[in-house]
Amino acid sequence: MWIENPLSTSPTGFAVLECFHIAGFALAIGMTALLDFRLLGIGLQNQSPAQIARAFEWWTLGGLVVAVFSGLLIFSTDPDMYYLNWGFLIKMVCLVLAILFNYTIHKRAVFRPWAPGAARLVACISLILWVSVIFGGIFIAVIRTGLT
Amino acid sequence: MLLSFLIWLENLTPFSSLRSSAYVYPIVLALHLSAISLFGAMIVATDLRMLGWALFDSSIADVITQLRWPKRIGFILAGTCGFLLFASKAEEYYYNAFFRTKMLLFVLVAIHALVFRRSVYADPIKVARLPLVPRRARLAAALSLLLWLGILCVGRGIGYVAGRPGMHFR
Repeated sequence: MWIENPLSTSPTGFAVLECFHIAGFALAIGMTALLDFRLLGIGLQNQSPAQIARAFEWWTLGGLVVAVFSGLLIFSTDPDMYYLNWGFLIKMVCLVLAILFNYTIHKRAVFRPWAPGAARLVACISLILWVSVIFGGIFIAVIRTGLT
Repeated sequence: MLLSFLIWLENLTPFSSLRSSAYVYPIVLALHLSAISLFGAMIVATDLRMLGWALFDSSIADVITQLRWPKRIGFILAGTCGFLLFASKAEEYYYNAFFRTKMLLFVLVAIHALVFRRSVYADPIKVARLPLVPRRARLAAALSLLLWLGILCVGRGIGYVAGRPGMHFR
């Protein structure tokens, strides 16, 4: 039996979902960026990176969960378009890499004092990965071509 | 008067070429969103501290003063990208109800700053010395979160209103 996805027929529902998506990723990516800039020596200098990470880790995870679940619902409105779209594919690769990096190498650099050079490199990689996710997301609507 | 200024603005070479470029426009949009993430997280971090929900081991004064300039820079980045997006479609945005609401919310943000600047933000050391976070600081933080969340949502709404025919795009 074919059931119409209610989100595909409701522009308001879709728009509200996008607001959740943006708020979620802004919180998650922004909080991570706050930590990255701390590793680069900008921002909350009186706090240690570990202190900042502990203060915001649940807020970051919460934002990420909201962004991923709203994203899955957005994906469900037009899966055929998304999974073939280059913008989307690049976004997914960057997202998986960013999440893996965040909870492995990035976490280690934050909680164990690394050499400043190494910590800065980790911060730059993290920033580039997360910003790539945002760019990928925007370019889904721009690059209409993809796999066939 | 305002409208004719906006039509003049959007037809200046940099803005009309931004409007018609396939890739620069989305790049500015993505930079706008990246700056919003950064700026938003600093707003949320400050507000969470003022509400007593995060960073308990640091004083309010410490968080506010350290993030003051980074927040300003983040706002300038997001604002510059936002202005570029606006200026390239200024006439269309003039009619856009979500854009007008967004500008109204920015006015409210300015009023928020004027109302709470003296009692909360200008002298955070005094606020921090008080045994409990004063109700006024909590109110300022809660209103700030609501206002910025509202700006984020109506900002997304702008893209949902189709431009009307008969725009003076050249």
